[in-house]
Amino acid sequence: MGRCRLLALALIALAGLGLARGARAHTGGAEHDPLERFNRAMFWFNDRLDVYAIEPAAKAWDAVLPDRVQRSLSNFFDNLRFPVLLMNDLLQGKGNAAAIDYTRFMVNTTIGLAGFFDPATPLGLPKQNEDFGQTLGKWGVEPGPYLVMPILGPSNPRDLVGSGVDSVFAVYPWVVEFPYTIVSRAVDIVNFRSLVLDDVREAKAASVDYYAAVRAAYTQRRERLINDGIELSPEQQQDLYQVEE
Amino acid sequence: MTTDRWWRRRITPWLVLGLGIASLTQARPALGEDSPTQVVETTTNAVIAVLANKALSAEQRRQQVEGIVYEHFDFVTLSKLVLARNWKQLSPQQQDAFVAEFKRHLSITYGRNVESYNNERAMVTGDRREAGDDWTVKTKIVRPAAAEILVDYRLRQLDGQWRVIDVTIEGVSLVANFRSQFQEIITAQGPDKLIELLREKNDRGEPLKSDASA
Repeated sequence: MGRCRLLALALIALAGLGLARGARAHTGGAEHDPLERFNRAMFWFNDRLDVYAIEPAAKAWDAVLPDRVQRSLSNFFDNLRFPVLLMNDLLQGKGNAAAIDYTRFMVNTTIGLAGFFDPATPLGLPKQNEDFGQTLGKWGVEPGPYLVMPILGPSNPRDLVGSGVDSVFAVYPWVVEFPYTIVSRAVDIVNFRSLVLDDVREAKAASVDYYAAVRAAYTQRRERLINDGIELSPEQQQDLYQVEE
Repeated sequence: MTTDRWWRRRITPWLVLGLGIASLTQARPALGEDSPTQVVETTTNAVIAVLANKALSAEQRRQQVEGIVYEHFDFVTLSKLVLARNWKQLSPQQQDAFVAEFKRHLSITYGRNVESYNNERAMVTGDRREAGDDWTVKTKIVRPAAAEILVDYRLRQLDGQWRVIDVTIEGVSLVANFRSQFQEIITAQGPDKLIELLREKNDRGEPLKSDASA
């Protein structure tokens, strides 16, 4: 693990240096998006990739596999995220969440048959949503400018560093041989995409500028996750709801 | 697209429930003043009753939900908040046209979802007075075999009646989301272009799925 820790520290240092002075995200109005030209190009590329490759694959997947099976696969991949969840719970000092995630993993891996089922949720142990991008946010690291990455999609420098750290701590890629992790990643992506076919279609239909809609949703949702559902700041409320006439 | 984990909460289709739930039974006479929470609570049950009523056609359900939403949403305030500073740049005619097209846009895009109803239930989990005398009513939508969805309504009093001025689903506000979309169009191309874009999109609006397959 020496190598991982070093890499993680390097990434954290990078995040601290590069992002601390990043601009504040504005939940209410137009988001901070100085890289819009680049982002729109990447967004377009990702959309083409989705329309011509991932979505068709997901539709075929959806046609063959019942929803039940798709949800089971999704549970399985969620369960594999346990080390990442636990690490981030602990780094944010969330003892309760850490206990929930630990128990969830134990219950779902055993009674839930290697994680394909999720008996923990009905037992009052709901799924937690944590990642290292949120941990950095909790520690006060600013997100920096909105950034659309090829293939990876919507992000920002803080969350990008977060995904890097999370993937180091995902454990199973270090245990399982490389070709298998690639296949499992592909299955995860196609399976996930098949579960949100309708949602993505609706989101596209419901927006006038899909790029801006995704940007706004991503920015707001990340902020809300970092604050764990705690409400908008008075300034944000002012910005959003008190329009001077 | 791998990192959009926020999609996992499946935000969009629930906006129909979201929009619907915030309002009251159709044509129900006002019995004095309902509190914001009462407005949201009574509505929750009313919209779900319409959605669950399989005796109605999809189009009838859509119309009834639309009626409820129209009665309990303040689309003028919603439009002002969405356009923010730009609102004042619009002439009264442009403002009216924008409100009409925006309302139609919401109705068309979310109205299609009446067919996705799958035994969801909704419950009020709390409320809070906000700055400027607004109220937030927090609810959650409980779905069989899927994660809960948190939906917050922001209400403002107009002529003695509490009306919804924003819906926030899993942390994503309708007002903020559309503000971000419209901001650039209006700055770069002007209000007429925005209204025209909305109108074009609305005129192309897809019919209900069941109508399309019939």
